[in-house]
Amino acid sequence: MSTPDSISDPPKQVPVTAGTPSSQAPKPSTPAESSKLSNAELKKQQKAEKAARRLQKKGDQGPSNGQPTTPAQKAQTKPEKHAKPTQPRNQPAPPTLKPPGKATATRRGSSSVPNVIDSEVKNVALFKHLYSVPRRQRIEGASKDVHPAVVALGLQMSNYRICGSNARCIAMLLAFKEVIESYTTPGGTSLARHLTSHHLSPQIDYLKSCRPLSISMGNAIRYLKELIIKIDPAVPEHDAKATLLDAIDAFISERITVAGTIIAQTASTKIVSGDVVVTYAKSSIVMQTLLTAHRAGTAFRVVVVDSSPLFEGKRLASVLASHGLSVSYSLIAGASHAVTGATKVFLGAHAIMSNGRLYSRVGTAVVAMLAYERDIPVIVCCESVKFTERVALDSIVGNELAPAEELLAAGLSVEGKEGSKGVEDMLKKWRETPGLQALNVLYDVTPADYIKMVVTEFGSLPPSSVPAVLRNLSGNG
Amino acid sequence: MARTVSMTPGLASFLRSLKNDPVEASIEHLISLLKRRQIHNSRPCAIATTQLLLQVVAEFKGKDSDILISRVRHVGQKLITAQPREMAVGNIVRRVLALIREVIEGDEVTEGSPISESPSSIQPLSTPREPSHHPGLPSSISTSSPLDHSGAGHPIDSSPHPSESSSEAISSVHRPVLTASHTSYSTAAPLATSLFGLFSRPETPSPASTPRGFQSPRHGDNPPVPIHQLKGLTITDLPKPVPDDFKADVLDGIREILDELDQVDDQIASYALDHIHSNEIILTHSSSTTVQKFLLTAAKKRKFTVLHVESFPNDHKNTRATMVTGRKNQGQAEEEEDVDDRFSPLTAAGITVVLIPDSAVFAIMSRVNKVILATHSVLANGGLLAAAGAHAITKAAKMHQTPVVVLSGVYKLSPVYALDLDELIEYGDPGKVVNYDDGEFVENVDVVNPLYDHVPPDLVDIYITNLGPHAPSYLYRIVQDHYRKEDITI
Repeated sequence: MSTPDSISDPPKQVPVTAGTPSSQAPKPSTPAESSKLSNAELKKQQKAEKAARRLQKKGDQGPSNGQPTTPAQKAQTKPEKHAKPTQPRNQPAPPTLKPPGKATATRRGSSSVPNVIDSEVKNVALFKHLYSVPRRQRIEGASKDVHPAVVALGLQMSNYRICGSNARCIAMLLAFKEVIESYTTPGGTSLARHLTSHHLSPQIDYLKSCRPLSISMGNAIRYLKELIIKIDPAVPEHDAKATLLDAIDAFISERITVAGTIIAQTASTKIVSGDVVVTYAKSSIVMQTLLTAHRAGTAFRVVVVDSSPLFEGKRLASVLASHGLSVSYSLIAGASHAVTGATKVFLGAHAIMSNGRLYSRVGTAVVAMLAYERDIPVIVCCESVKFTERVALDSIVGNELAPAEELLAAGLSVEGKEGSKGVEDMLKKWRETPGLQALNVLYDVTPADYIKMVVTEFGSLPPSSVPAVLRNLSGNG
Repeated sequence: MARTVSMTPGLASFLRSLKNDPVEASIEHLISLLKRRQIHNSRPCAIATTQLLLQVVAEFKGKDSDILISRVRHVGQKLITAQPREMAVGNIVRRVLALIREVIEGDEVTEGSPISESPSSIQPLSTPREPSHHPGLPSSISTSSPLDHSGAGHPIDSSPHPSESSSEAISSVHRPVLTASHTSYSTAAPLATSLFGLFSRPETPSPASTPRGFQSPRHGDNPPVPIHQLKGLTITDLPKPVPDDFKADVLDGIREILDELDQVDDQIASYALDHIHSNEIILTHSSSTTVQKFLLTAAKKRKFTVLHVESFPNDHKNTRATMVTGRKNQGQAEEEEDVDDRFSPLTAAGITVVLIPDSAVFAIMSRVNKVILATHSVLANGGLLAAAGAHAITKAAKMHQTPVVVLSGVYKLSPVYALDLDELIEYGDPGKVVNYDDGEFVENVDVVNPLYDHVPPDLVDIYITNLGPHAPSYLYRIVQDHYRKEDITI
């Protein structure tokens, strides 16, 4: 952190940073370390690497006086361990993974402690339990077992290219299909035993490191694992894989696509001519509902409420507008104006807790509260795949934190005039001022009282019936 | 109109030009600044209005208080019409009017015989007093919204006002009004203080003569005005028993208002320790010097955490600047150059400040101990107008039983009742919500950007003004203390 360090830093970094990613790091000659690494160790290592990378990105000066230490050597030896014949074709070459590992090493010398403190200073105290490893934004350091499709997907998730519970779930399942297709059971074990623990879990871990899994993804994974375990070892691998792929397709269509259509059909009947429908952010299923109602010839108006930093509602608004709906758009600050005069509020869900609370994009609770205050019915459209056994009382115990920088940058970039320089200045000032923090939570929990109805593919029910549906689901499946 | 070049038009440039420009030019200048929103927000508006009225009164040459009242009223009308939603303008005009009336009445009492018993001098602010007002004025607090003033104000004044360029033109246009007010004075005043009227009237010069002090040196400066006054007086047959120095008293009073505007934040901040305890989590919204001062004062003694809602499309830059530097960065910054030292960020006092987006308000509210809000203006029923998002915040606070404290200078307290809320809300630049570069979106979607929220009184727990803390239900008394009934509708 001290200036002298930073000055002394660049020369040492040169061999690493100057080389292209594929160029070998100068110190690959330490394979003495035990080449067997447990998963836990791997995780720890990734964590450390990420912390270091974040530092690097922040422009913080690493200590750099440290010699490459054991972790670095581990990092370099790591890829050798998993050299397996089952490696997917387009696996990123192990060498690409090395330079960051090396950089990590140089940065993780004596001053790793102050670095930790530094990042904690920017963490909001109430949410300390939610700060974990920062999100992966690059592929470096990813386990080489991770399938390229999953690698790409993870990055798309971490930068919100693929965003939204359903989209992420479907994308994950499609990527898993590729993973399973390219899978061959190694000798001496069976697919049912090997696939989940050795082949799927690195993929899942990688996805987790990009962004915490959504409830729907968790449900889908659980379903998939159950399916795999039930496969009879006697079944030939080819057949077993075909069964799995079919089952995934069936899951996507039954639980998400068709369920969405059914919900859209049901929910669209709730919209009558002359309605003013308020919705928040973007939910694929609410969009489908509104479009269905529009196609059915109902004349209604839509008010899309949105918020920084994601501005998901913008896409919803433009899609609706392009279909000829009359749409108005405002931000969450104007929510109480948007709700004035509304007749119905349609909300999407990230998840519905078994105590009937809605876990959805942060701000949903504000809109629901304002609607409840004015006695406007709040209708939640939610597939059963988003139902979870978990309960939530507030939005603090369980939540997902996005990088604070996203929030800081979003506000300044909207008007465009500032340019990236203004954003950079702002972020710099931000980091330099002690005591300044920013909180960028992604979800909030809406009390069940505010919700009049939950529309699922099993029908429309009050939020209190969520546990009953869950019970049904587990009974069936 | 702006004399100062090289400066962005705003409060600072206006105040600078005010000293050199003739009053009429300054009035037009302020009107254009208000219309163009180059002066906006309550405090700059209040300061500009007070300074302008100070000039108006100082420039006023006559001895007749009613002429002064109608002159101030007329200027006020023009300002309010220029920007009806900046209620601080109207508030200041009303306060200056009340001040003039008070000075006149106070003088009458002291000048009159000792027998004259005017309750108004003892309880100057609560009892109805000298009914020297326009006949058509409602006697209760106005139920009309501020926007109606533009429509309602002019008819009352009996004649349309083309934008005059000189004071002579104004006073001539004003003659009918003057007459009306004098007539009403002549009939009503003796009723109120009949003995006084009996004895004092002979003292005053006969209608034909000029009023006392007419030959004052100032008279030479601008001859047409006294001539008009003279005409007016001859018509009304009623010279007024007002002493020479009433103007000086009024000017002093206006300067006091200026002082109040200057000190209001410090006065409010002095109550900070009564309301903030250690280790609190306080949520505040948008950027406000008043709130910043309040929290800073508390921060000297106590440690707490501040959650700052960014108020995204309209005020987020100021909010961030306030968090980083302790002061807003746009517009107002340069206007408050002189008070530079007083600003420091809360973080410098060891306070943790957390920026949160407007959407996270509900999520975080369950952990918030107190909500401290600034206002745009406060309405007489205890409701308030504040930056958009305030309603959601106060509502969420209500849902979580979190107390809401509103900080507001008395100058923001408006005698207006909110009957038609939509009318009070101003809509801002949609370009702040969606960049205009996004042509297709802007074309197809109706982008709405409200600037203010109305917060009903039941969502507020206490108000802290420079006079102290009050319950929202008590605000009407403070309104009555500061404004005269006859001035409610200007």
